[in-house]
Amino acid sequence: MKRVLKAAVAAIGLVAFSGGAMAADWTPPGPIKLMIAFAAGGGADTQARLIAEDIETKLGWKFIPEQVTGKGGMNLAMALKDQPNDGTVIGMVVTETLGYNMLAANAGVTPEDFTAISTTAGFQMGIVSQSSKGWADFNDVIKAAKSGQDIRFGVMSPKLADIAYLLGKAQGVDFNIVSGKGGKAVMNGVMAGDMDLGFMAGIQAKGVAAGDLVNLASALSTPLKQTPDAPLMSDFGVEFNADGYFALIGPKGMPTEVRDAIAAAVIDAITGEGNKSAAMITKAFGEPATISGDALQSLVQADYDAAGRLMKAASE
Amino acid sequence: MTAFDYIMAGILAVFQGPVAFSFLGLPISVTVVMVLAGFVLGIMVGATPGLAGPMAMAISLPILISIFGFSSDALLPVLGFLIGVMKGATVGGAVPAILFNTPGTPDAYMTTLDGYPMAQAGQARKALKVAHFSSAAGDTFSDIVLIVCAPFLALLVERYLDLPEKTALLILSLAFIAAIIGGSVGKGIIAMGLGLLVAFIGTGEDFYPRLSFGTQTLAQGFSVTAVILGVLILGEVFKAFEDMWHNHRRAQPAKETPQQGDQRLHAADLKRIAPHVARSAVIGTVIGALPGIGSTLAATLGYSVGARTHARRHPDRKPFGQGAPEGIAATEAANSSVSGANLIPVLSLGIPGNAAAVFLILAAESIGGFNPGPAVFRFSTDTVNPELVMAFGIFTAMMLGNLFNWTLGGLFMRAAGVMVRVPKHMLLPVVLLMTLTAIYVQDPRMQAIWFTIGFGVLGYGMRRLGISPLPFVIAFILGGKLEETARQAFAATGADPWFLFNRPVAAILILAAIGFVAVSLRKPSETQQ
Repeated sequence: MKRVLKAAVAAIGLVAFSGGAMAADWTPPGPIKLMIAFAAGGGADTQARLIAEDIETKLGWKFIPEQVTGKGGMNLAMALKDQPNDGTVIGMVVTETLGYNMLAANAGVTPEDFTAISTTAGFQMGIVSQSSKGWADFNDVIKAAKSGQDIRFGVMSPKLADIAYLLGKAQGVDFNIVSGKGGKAVMNGVMAGDMDLGFMAGIQAKGVAAGDLVNLASALSTPLKQTPDAPLMSDFGVEFNADGYFALIGPKGMPTEVRDAIAAAVIDAITGEGNKSAAMITKAFGEPATISGDALQSLVQADYDAAGRLMKAASE
Repeated sequence: MTAFDYIMAGILAVFQGPVAFSFLGLPISVTVVMVLAGFVLGIMVGATPGLAGPMAMAISLPILISIFGFSSDALLPVLGFLIGVMKGATVGGAVPAILFNTPGTPDAYMTTLDGYPMAQAGQARKALKVAHFSSAAGDTFSDIVLIVCAPFLALLVERYLDLPEKTALLILSLAFIAAIIGGSVGKGIIAMGLGLLVAFIGTGEDFYPRLSFGTQTLAQGFSVTAVILGVLILGEVFKAFEDMWHNHRRAQPAKETPQQGDQRLHAADLKRIAPHVARSAVIGTVIGALPGIGSTLAATLGYSVGARTHARRHPDRKPFGQGAPEGIAATEAANSSVSGANLIPVLSLGIPGNAAAVFLILAAESIGGFNPGPAVFRFSTDTVNPELVMAFGIFTAMMLGNLFNWTLGGLFMRAAGVMVRVPKHMLLPVVLLMTLTAIYVQDPRMQAIWFTIGFGVLGYGMRRLGISPLPFVIAFILGGKLEETARQAFAATGADPWFLFNRPVAAILILAAIGFVAVSLRKPSETQQ
């Protein structure tokens, strides 16, 4: 009996050791194709490329970045779906891709068809206007709208358009909701006066610090770091929020050790002192966000489920 | 930052960028080297009959991107190189025109009229010097106009044009280009319509991929590189293959005549050609600033206006067409001054006017971080607008190109004479192979190659039917922007379906668009360029 126990312990030890060794020692069998759902040169694209660069420097893995843009990340999702799940193909999207966009696209896929690997950064999504408008917070916008002023509300995705519509509906006003391609377009629209206010996911930080722009409200479930006093959307009777992250995903059924090895490499890159990606993320998005593995999988699933409720509310 | 700070930052971005090598302890930035390299390549390409600047720009772009990557550091070296090619090709085109009676680029045709007689009279080097001086002067003048005008035009647009007016302006540009380029308005509109159709495949705001027949291949739309290189470059190559098939007996370039006499350009010569240079530079700049009208028209116009004035004022001198240096000056100053002014609509409105501008936009779009349009010229004082710094960096690169042109251009022009001997039947397959390689470098999927070849066949067919491919390409580039602006204008006006007509400025622009097409339809097609 003792011998059996010893053997069992040894076996368990061996298994545990080899498993541990696999997670730490997993190296990609070849170069990793990194699909990027964002236009080349933007903040999101730069972030993805810098993460790849940092991992290449540290671990010697090889990445081939490739742009697969369009349809709010759905083009990437559809292209990624049938790729090998051995860690040689991954994609950088936003959690909204697997949430609202995937549900709206109705393309026969759900978050379960993908392996969530890790987030890299969160959005500091605010509702922003030029300070020259004279609005202190979103209450002033409602007042202006009620006094008969036409308000153009810039959004960069259908989900945000729904939220903007619900904000107006809850407050009894009608916004003219203008959709732009990406945060940069909304920011340019607001700066040029083509839009009165709009959602911005962190790009506004410099302008707010300089006093050109104002965070009128937080579009997150929590207050904005930069403007903690700005009201939340729940203050205006809207139960939905625009919480979101940049996230790396893989095809369905990626082995756990592969997923965890990639996640560990990514988190190491974005939190490592002196790393390019860490510096860039801190500068552009405030701080890295490191939700990974099962926690991220359930987060995107929850987003997907919430998207259904949001669509229903917005279509009523 | 003040405007002055932005200008300084732009200049420094060129000279203090990543260092290529040190020369006598002085660090030389990559951008400077790339402008020079592009300029030399441009002269060689311009001097080669059958090749043109845009072709070299198209092939080098993907290769440059694979070298420099997608970071914001890549923009200036890559754009600098392309600008160098653009400038070099402009002067290079005159070389074979003068030496061998074969224009290297179509806009140098008028240069043969006086350049070749001068060469036959043993004055080839002098003719080259006249061409160089006029070309460099016209180019520099045009660039200065660009640098002064583009920011103001952008600010005007940003301040006075709202979304409906911007939509109307895009429609006006497309109408203008369709009506002006090519042999007939109908063909121009067909090309433009096809370009818009292709731009709308797989794009749009909806999550459901539009016009994709349910295939994943089309759902992503066509890559800009595949479409543009296919139609502009492969189409041209295929057409040239056919032409070669037809003209088995190629006309050999004429022999070089022995040179004699005084080849120097004296102050008296400069005084003689100066008025022609000045007049043609203005003509070329004005024409260049309008999208769609090319340097060939500018050259023709500069030459014919120059010829009339010359005959009236100096009946004693050699008339145009018989070896008058004034003729070369009038042509070269006009066609060279198009290139700078052509960037006015590009940088201030994001509307490309010719093939070279198309490739500059393609470069900016592929690398990212710089979106030509009115937002570039936002002089924000509290925060730095990196695009504005980039714009001044581009201006600096252009002036640097002009500096190279003034100092080294003449030297390279004389060396470029050999290019005319490059046999076309070897050159074109090389261009074909390099284009396909360039496509694959940027987009490593076989699909991209098939798409490019497909668009090459389309480009060939268009040329075969006498349809200019340029309206197609410009419409393809502007299609997405047109749709986005129109959607925004519709939403911003509270879903007003008449937003193009019930605001005075928008209505005037739309009427102008209709007017252009209507007037061009009434003109007999022979008189059009």
